[in-house]
This record gives sequence, structure tokens and C-alpha cells, in this order.
Amino acid sequence: MLKVENLSVSYGSVRALSDVDLEVLGDGILHGVIGPNGAGKSTLLDAVCGRRRPIAGTVRYRNEDITRRSVAWRRRQGMARSFQRTSIFQDLTVHEQLHLVAQHLGDDRLDDVIEVMDLTGYLHQKAGRIAYGVQRRVDVALALIGRPHLLLLDEPGAGLSAAETLHLFEHLRDLVRERKIAAVVVEHDVDAVFACCGKVTVLDLGRHLATGSPHEIRADHRVVAAYLGTAA
Amino acid sequence: MNNRTTTAASERVAPIGAMGGPSLRLPLTLIAAAIVFVAGAVAPSHFAGDFVLRVANEGLLLGMLALSVAFLMNQAGLVALGAASIYGGAGLLFAIAMSEWNLTPLAALCAAFLIIVVYATVLGALIVRTNPLAFMMLTLAAGEMISHAVMLEALRDYTGGADGLAVSFKGSIFGMEAADFANPARFWLVMWVAASLAGLALWSVGRSRLGAILRAVRENEERMRFSGFDTYLPRLIAYVLVNIVAAVAGLLHVLNAGFVSPESLGISVSTNALVAALMGGIAGSVGPILGGLIFSFAQDEFGARGLTQLLTGIAIVVFIVVFPRGVVGGLSGMAWLRTLSGRRERS
Repeated sequence: MLKVENLSVSYGSVRALSDVDLEVLGDGILHGVIGPNGAGKSTLLDAVCGRRRPIAGTVRYRNEDITRRSVAWRRRQGMARSFQRTSIFQDLTVHEQLHLVAQHLGDDRLDDVIEVMDLTGYLHQKAGRIAYGVQRRVDVALALIGRPHLLLLDEPGAGLSAAETLHLFEHLRDLVRERKIAAVVVEHDVDAVFACCGKVTVLDLGRHLATGSPHEIRADHRVVAAYLGTAA
Repeated sequence: MNNRTTTAASERVAPIGAMGGPSLRLPLTLIAAAIVFVAGAVAPSHFAGDFVLRVANEGLLLGMLALSVAFLMNQAGLVALGAASIYGGAGLLFAIAMSEWNLTPLAALCAAFLIIVVYATVLGALIVRTNPLAFMMLTLAAGEMISHAVMLEALRDYTGGADGLAVSFKGSIFGMEAADFANPARFWLVMWVAASLAGLALWSVGRSRLGAILRAVRENEERMRFSGFDTYLPRLIAYVLVNIVAAVAGLLHVLNAGFVSPESLGISVSTNALVAALMGGIAGSVGPILGGLIFSFAQDEFGARGLTQLLTGIAIVVFIVVFPRGVVGGLSGMAWLRTLSGRRERS
């Protein structure tokens, strides 16, 4: 589904990602990306979705090199993302924004998304006036419209409690499994990632450190030393 | 998220653009608009004298220009400071087409309209990509460039330079002769219909899918791109649309005045339109047109006292402080009017 090879991204003279590889299969499992602050997790998602252009490396999506493709083109091909800072339309009602995007992407199953993200009770409210946790769900709902093949979720649990984050992750895990789609989730809450992701990639200082099952990652001494610490 | 409802969500939601509200609100609004339209078309020419109608005609011309500025601000979040170059440019092109190209009045009108719309499209294609601040400065730069180009000595034979160009034509345009356009009462009817149609057209666009896309792009362009939208084309379409309104206003102005001066392309006309839009309110079509009328009558009154600039400045400050959302926005926010129109705040 997604294959990232030797991806490098710079912010001016600062190298944020160096030769990172990532492979995500469309097998209905959540693929978590973890790492300390500044590891390059969000930058990786930015480069994959086209928000930031890499200085080297390739992004292949469904066997096609899409490294130079626009954000809108990637979205129309089924690559969707949510943002670390909630990115919704504050002045539109929940329904207006979901309907607008569904209409554009030709998705006639908006009800499914509304129901899955439990937004039925908020449809007539302006998004700027609803609780932050619900706004996060609207953010994810916007990404789910159009039946995407690949979901890129940047800290969907940001601003939520540990219990809410775990709940959201369980929900995403079931959704991805049901729809047999690929999903990459960047998250700081390692408990939620280990509980719900089938595969985990660890980044550190812009470099790929390890990829494996949660069990393998917990046992990897490099990951323990760089990120998890001995208590993990 | 476990307690999912099983009711189809779409059964309980309004389509985009309708924005909810009581089902009778739209028909009542349309009936009220129709009454105002008929009354506005007939009443002034019976009750007002030529002088008042002349000022009112100027107010509607400015209102149409303000409408174009307000639509772009409200829907796309873009402030255009070069509206006068389209307004005055259309009039000047018509004058040139009549005097230099020997076209019939209707052909000259069409030629001027097409040329100015092509210019607006090319300019828009270059500048709507930029951020709102850069857009504003680029419209200002382009407008000033045109208004100064008109004054060039090398172009004086065509443009008339600082003297401007007089326009006279024989025959008729849409059944109206030059004398009819110069007649304040007849021109009022033309202006009233033109301003109403322009307002209705932009109001419809605002409520359409294009309007919804424009507002969403204004609010969160990045999310729109990440939702698969092309954010460039809707803004370009909006820019061309508002310039069509400005061009029509400019052509009507020159038909009425029989003269086009270089001042009609200048920054002061653009800023007057912006001020009129802010005074009336940018959220709908009524506000800018009302703002144009208020501005025009106020200018006339202030001019009679010989303190035009000073009093205009004071009036602008007072208006914007008292009515930050414009007259129409301020009135629609009043509780008794909200009750009267059946509007309720959504929870």
C-alpha cells in the first residue's frame, strides 16, 4: 500500500528525517509510529501526504511513485490524514463540513462515517462550539470520508485523557480491521499504541530505529535506551 | 463511541447551503424582497426630484462596486483594493471603442466588457494564489498601474489623459438612447434592476456549493486541500465574478455620465467602495448597496458644508464603531428584529 524509501526531509539546515524507510500493508492493522519529541514522526507524515517535499527518497503509494504529486491529488486517490492540531472548519456546522467533503469525494455513505465517529448528536452545531474531544472526532471523520485506502493520523489522541485516547485507538483499530485499509498513527501515548497497533515503527532523531510487533519493540534494547526507558 | 444511534443521520440534517432555519423563512424573505424590489423601482421616481435621484444613482453605482468588494471579503477572505481599475477601466474601454474603433454602441459595450473580463481573469490567475495580504497589495499595485498608465502622454490620444473622454452615441442600447441614460428617473430604474440582479446573483452564488467551498477555503485552506479540493479555481471564479459586477457598474456609470475621467480608475474610488461595504455590512447583498447609498448621500451633504474629507472620516469612524458588522449586520443582530423575522440562535 505505502512504501517509503530513503526519505530525507530538511527544514533549512536542519535535517528532520534521514534515509527513513517505512512499509505499510493494506492488511487492516494499525501501524504505529512512535519516538521522542523531534524524532521526525509528524515530518514523516507530512512528507508522505505531500505537505512537505522531501529532499531525497521516494514515496510509493499503491505501486506508484507519488513523491511529486499534490496533496489534493493524493487525497482523491484515497490517502487521507488528520492533524496533530485539530484542523476542521470552526465556522461550519459539523454536518456542513462533512457533507461538503463527502459531496466532493462522491461518498454517498456519509451516514456511516457520522455513526462510526458518533457525531449524530452534534451535526447542527458549529464545530468551533463543540468539545475538543468531539472536534478530534470530526477531524478523523473528515479523513474517513471517501473510503480512503490509507489513513495518516497525526496524534489523534492529542488533548485527550489516557482513557479517551485508548478508547479512540480501539475504535480506530476496529474500523481499520473492518474496512481492511492501511493506517499509520503517530502517537505519544505508547500504551495505546502497543495495545492497538499490530506493527510499530520507532524513529529517533530523524532516523529509523526499529520496526516490529509491539512485543518485539518492547524487547528491542535500542528502543528501550532511546525512548521507552527501563520502566517500559 | 459505543452508544451509537441507528437513525440515519441524513434524515435529520439540512442540505448544505440551506443552513437550516424555519421552513417559511425563505419564502417570506423572497416575498419581502419582491415587494421591496417593486417599491424601490417605482417609488423614488415618483417622490424624489432629479437631484436626489442623481445622488441615489451614484449611490447604487458605488453600491454595486461595494457589493463586488464585499462578496470577495465575506466569501473568500480577500480584500481587493483595485476594484476601480475594473470599474473605470470598463468605462474607459467603452469610450475608446466608441471614439477610436467606430463600433456600434452595443458592440462597443460588449467589446469593453469582454476585454476587461479577460484582463480580470488573467490578473486573477496570477494573484489569487497568494496570501490575503499579498493579494490586497497586488490588487492595489495593479490598480495603480492601470490608473497611471491611463495618464501617460503616449496614450493621451486614446485615453484623453487627465482630461478624460467624453462619450456620445447615436442609436440605442437595449432600447435606451443616450438621453434616457442621462435622465435620472429612467436611469434609476436601470440601476435599481442592475443592482438588484447583481445582488441576487452574488447572493445565490454565496448560498451555492461554490459559496460553501469559498467559505471553507477562507477558513481552512489546508484542510480543504487535504480533503481533495482544488483551492485555486474557486477563488479565481469568485474573483472573475465580482469583477464582472464591477465592470457592469463601470459601463453603467459611463452611459449615465457620458464621460469617463481618470479619477474613476483611482484608489479613492476603490477605497470608497470598501468603506461603503463596511458601512453597510459585508455579510449579504443588501448591506453593500445600502452602504453605497448612505456613503453617496453623506458625501453630498458633507460636500455642501465644504468639509467633505473631515466629516467623511468622522462618519466612517463613528459608523464602524457603532456598527462593526455594518448597518445591516447591526440591525439583524437586534433582538426585536430577530424575533420579528423568526430567527433563533442555534444551540
